[in-house]
Formats: sequence, C-alpha cells, structure tokens
Amino acid sequence: MEHHAAAEHLEVIRTLMERTALYRRTLAPIMLYVGSVGTLAGAGGVALGLESLPAFGAWWLAAAVLALAGAFVIARRQALRDGEPFWSPPTLRVTQAMVPPLAAGFILSLVTVLATAPGEWRSLFVIPNALFYGCAVHAAGFFMPRGMKLFGWLIIGITGVTVLLAAWVAPTPGARFHHAFMGALFGLLHLAYGIYLYVTEPRERSA
Amino acid sequence: MNPEPFLQLDRVIHEKGRLAIMSMLAASAELSFTELRDALEMTDGNLTTHVRTLQETGYVSVAKSYQRNRRLTTLSMTAAGRRAFAEYVSLLERIIRQARPK
Repeated sequence: MEHHAAAEHLEVIRTLMERTALYRRTLAPIMLYVGSVGTLAGAGGVALGLESLPAFGAWWLAAAVLALAGAFVIARRQALRDGEPFWSPPTLRVTQAMVPPLAAGFILSLVTVLATAPGEWRSLFVIPNALFYGCAVHAAGFFMPRGMKLFGWLIIGITGVTVLLAAWVAPTPGARFHHAFMGALFGLLHLAYGIYLYVTEPRERSA
Repeated sequence: MNPEPFLQLDRVIHEKGRLAIMSMLAASAELSFTELRDALEMTDGNLTTHVRTLQETGYVSVAKSYQRNRRLTTLSMTAAGRRAFAEYVSLLERIIRQARPK
C-alpha cells in the first residue's frame, strides 16, 4: 500500500513543481489589448495606404511598441494588485524565451527599413516578423499554460499558407494587402484568442 | 517489503498541505503568500499555520516587506529545507523501487 501512497505523493510534487514554474499572469486582457492595437493599426494602415517601406515599417514598429508597453502596464498592474513581485522566476523565463526571436525580428525590420528598399519589398518586413513572432510565442509556450505553443504554431501556419497563396494569386501584393494581413495576424487573431481565454478562464477570486 | 524507508519519511513534509508548499517553493526561488494561497486554494489561516510549522522546523524562511504601501510576504526554502525535501523525494523513490517486481 505504501508504494501507492509514495507514487501519489511524487505525482503531486511533480504537478505542483510544474505549475509553479508556469507563468500564470493574466493573459486574456493582454491578448485583447494587443489584438485591439493590431486591429486598429491594420485598419489605419489600410485606410492611410502607407506604401513606402520606411512609412510601413515605422507604422508597424510604433504599433509593436504600443502593444508591448500596454502589455507591460497590464501585467505590472496585475502584479501590484495581487501584491506579487513583477519579475518572478516564471516571468523572467518567459521574457528570456521571447527576447531572441523578437530581437531578431526587430533587427531585420530595422535593416529593411533603413536600407531604403523599394516599397514592393514590404514582404521582407512582413513575413520574417510574422514568423519570428510565431517562434517567440511558441518559445514562451514552454513556460505558459493554455495552448500558447499551439497559438505560436497557428501564427507560423497562417503566415506560411498566406505566403504560398499570395505567391500563387498575386506575387507582388499591394500595401493594403500587407496592412490587412498584419492587422489580421497581430489584431484579429489575438482578439479571438483573448475572447477564448475570457470565456474559458476560471474567474479570479475577489480580493 | 522493507517498511523502514516509509517510517523514515519526514513527518513535517509528509503532511499534504506542507508537502504542497514545499513542492512549490522547490520549483521557485521565492513565492508570495498570495501566490501560494491562490495556487493551493488554502485559506489564509491554514496557510499561515503550515508556514509557521515549516518555519519553526527551519525549512522555510519568511520575509516581510512593503511594496507601494502594501505589505508583501514572500516565502523561500532554506538550505535545510532543500536538503530535507531532496531526502524526502529520494525516500519516496526508494519505496517505489522496492515495490517493483524483480
């Protein structure tokens, strides 16, 4: 009988240790905020029709900075509300996992924008950024619950399929297509995930 | 089966609530009281009692500070706690190994 109890205890230890190592800070509001910024940036980009690569890049880099800053504020507020340290070990691990692909995407974006490439080269900005972002989300998924790895794969998959379809249908898509794609990927997809999290997440206990 | 390893299990850690606290602290450098309470779905009183026992045994250290005028209690495992927890886990593994057919 004792060995069953021992096995159960070990299972409890393993589960709790895994759960502790996970980043549990509220994801739904962050996803909804990032999704809103992405959707508005996409709609704005389509409306304004920013075509030149510097303008396109600056527009989306500004949206990325806005999204990151807002996500930071939301996470910080939640940490303060619950009296938790912001830089908890799980937070550090998630940040460390996301930084390399995000930095790679950022560097590539800067190079593309500063190289004064023609506007038709916008794909060089859009595709690597989408793929690097998918990789960053997937890497973070190792330390986060709720299908983050799957979400990362979804971003990579949608980007791949869109690139293939675009290459087949319209090899040199216009600026509005690129803005719409970025808006759908960084906006609508995140909004949908945020809504899914809101619907399925257990309600937080009131303080 | 030799019952000796089971009898050697640290009774302080073996209790369900304290085992949960020790398991979580073993996976993290430090955790806040709120974080532990919410994750383990314990009441403040229950968690305080278990933490006090672990603290008196020297397995857990408690630090109190203020963050933006709010009291912040953080818990971490001491070196003695880490040794005792490792010993506890290895004893459980020994019990399971002994039960396996040879």
